[in-house]
Amino acid sequence: MSEPRARILVVDDEPQIRKFLRLGLEGHGHAVIEAATAEAALRRAVAEQPELVVLDLGLPDREGFEVLSALREWSRAPVLVLSVRNRESEKVRAFDLGADDYIVKPFGMGELLARIKAALRRRLEGAAAEPVFRVGGLEVDLARRMVRLDDAEVRLSPKQYRLLQVLVSHAGKVVTHRQLLKEVWGAAHADDIQYLRVFIRKLRGRLEADPARPRYLLTELGVGYRLRTPDQLAGG
Amino acid sequence: MRLMPYLVSAAAVAVLALVAHVITRFLPLPHVSVLFLAAVVTSAALWGFWPSVFAAALSVAAGAFFFYSPIFSFMVTSERDVADLAVFVAVAALTSRLAASVRSKALEAQRQRERVAGLLAFSERLAASTTDSDLHAAILEHLEPVLGRPLQLLHPGEAAPAGWRVVPLATERGTAGVLAAPQPGPAADPEYEKALLGQAALAIERARLHREVAEARVKVQGEALREALINSMSHDLQTPLAAILGSATALESFGEHADPRTARELVETIRDETERLASYIENVLDLTRIRAGQIAPRLELVELSDIINAALRRRQKVLREHRVRLELPPELPMLRLDLFLMEHALANVLDNAGKYAPAGSQVSLAASVEGGHVVLEVTDGGSGICAADLERVFDPFYRGPGPEGRPASGTGLGLAICRAFVEANGGSVAALSAGPGRGTTVRMRLPLPAP
Repeated sequence: MSEPRARILVVDDEPQIRKFLRLGLEGHGHAVIEAATAEAALRRAVAEQPELVVLDLGLPDREGFEVLSALREWSRAPVLVLSVRNRESEKVRAFDLGADDYIVKPFGMGELLARIKAALRRRLEGAAAEPVFRVGGLEVDLARRMVRLDDAEVRLSPKQYRLLQVLVSHAGKVVTHRQLLKEVWGAAHADDIQYLRVFIRKLRGRLEADPARPRYLLTELGVGYRLRTPDQLAGG
Repeated sequence: MRLMPYLVSAAAVAVLALVAHVITRFLPLPHVSVLFLAAVVTSAALWGFWPSVFAAALSVAAGAFFFYSPIFSFMVTSERDVADLAVFVAVAALTSRLAASVRSKALEAQRQRERVAGLLAFSERLAASTTDSDLHAAILEHLEPVLGRPLQLLHPGEAAPAGWRVVPLATERGTAGVLAAPQPGPAADPEYEKALLGQAALAIERARLHREVAEARVKVQGEALREALINSMSHDLQTPLAAILGSATALESFGEHADPRTARELVETIRDETERLASYIENVLDLTRIRAGQIAPRLELVELSDIINAALRRRQKVLREHRVRLELPPELPMLRLDLFLMEHALANVLDNAGKYAPAGSQVSLAASVEGGHVVLEVTDGGSGICAADLERVFDPFYRGPGPEGRPASGTGLGLAICRAFVEANGGSVAALSAGPGRGTTVRMRLPLPAP
């Protein structure tokens, strides 16, 4: 598979961070646009239409979240959020505002490149949604509403299937508790995380060989769940 | 003066006179007066000296009037009867005195008992007071009924309300406080009051000394911690920084002529040292957060396996060369925990397992339900811990010898943070080891949620 190359907008107020991001990303064939403030970020995003945005949450003029929500009003470009603060409430907020991924500083270039690659690939694949999702021995046929595990059909309740369907439609991405609850049970249940945990336990009982060490349906602690793509499964 | 004793004494004498009258009708009784002694003695024993004197006088009068000729007259004519009455008066006087003194001794003993009980209750109440305001309330609560007037407890030097009288609460070391009362009350029992005031003064002083000692101890601990932190920091911050700067400048010095292998090694050093620095800073920040009392667990029902998998993922690098085994019962109940504190605590334990156990050895995680708890054990085949150090490993900055005998890299904060976080979740953690070279088990007990 060829490495996807992209025009990337890097938003961070620290010059030394922008510098190593530019060197690292350009060294791997990406084109880099830089912005040090929220205002500059939005201006350059409109002017240059980046294919991916790397966004720091701590900006001098406005919160990074504001850039994210402003961007989401007109752009579908993947947004990768950076923050020094390993705070889960921030992660949740970023995902709920439409971020695609989240990396905590300090991070390695290798990890960032892998996340960028995955985000770009998801965007490409998302454009041509396959009717059948496959990862490892798991196969979800969205057209025929059929789930197979290691070639044996798996029976799911309608709610369990709906939950899986939502995860499949965001495969590879973290789906927050709120998003899952809203899409499966409706906005009134958006805070029943407890309820969701019980459902995930049941779903894992059906889909995972060892539910205690799930291979497909992963927990993002305090944030939500992620259904792995074949790429991610291979990457470990 | 209370009338009751006198009325009852009079009644007793009257009844005895009647009894004597009945008896003397049937058999001649030469010394009727002896009967009346009963009234005198009883009166003395019950009410003391004066009522018994009153009973004796009445008895003499009744004897003279009813029994000694001429009857129905207070005159006594026979010399023998006069002598009889004189002896009676003498005996009655003596008995009254004796009985009255026995009574007053008994009363004194009783009062003494009450004082001792009062003092005991007071000192117990004082000892049970944990805060200053509680102590003050206890003092006022006990002293007001005894002194019979409203009181205020003031600090030495504090001004009392105008017109109030003040009593200093003095100890050998000075004035602990001042009691103020609106008017001088009658000192019903000055000895007892003095004893109570003395107790109160000592209690106030004890509380003050206790506070000073505690403050001093915190200060000493704070200083010891700061010193340990500075010692540790000077080494743990400077070493990786030196390595990073050295490697980067070495790389720079080669310019375009760097040997690819040398360059890669220098770059790897920069990366490894930066990671070490980052984890060090993270630990120090955690410890600061604990010290600042900012750890407030957010408890929710969670899957233990989610926490374990997140911790394993975080530590996959240090555990890359170990065989990790996970044994969880299939229907392990959900636990009420703070996800992140517990994940962090477990990640620190796994970090130690990775560092102290040789590559290729097994690290196992096993959970089981025991009574009202879930027990999670992390066992490694590493350098182990000698019995004397099993508790010390949880002290901040303690570092055990690594696989090669040298202290392992790290801050010595991991298990201290682990213990603080597990305890914040209502659990407990202990280290077990069969001894040096025989592996370590870290055992975490986490409470099951109430059904």
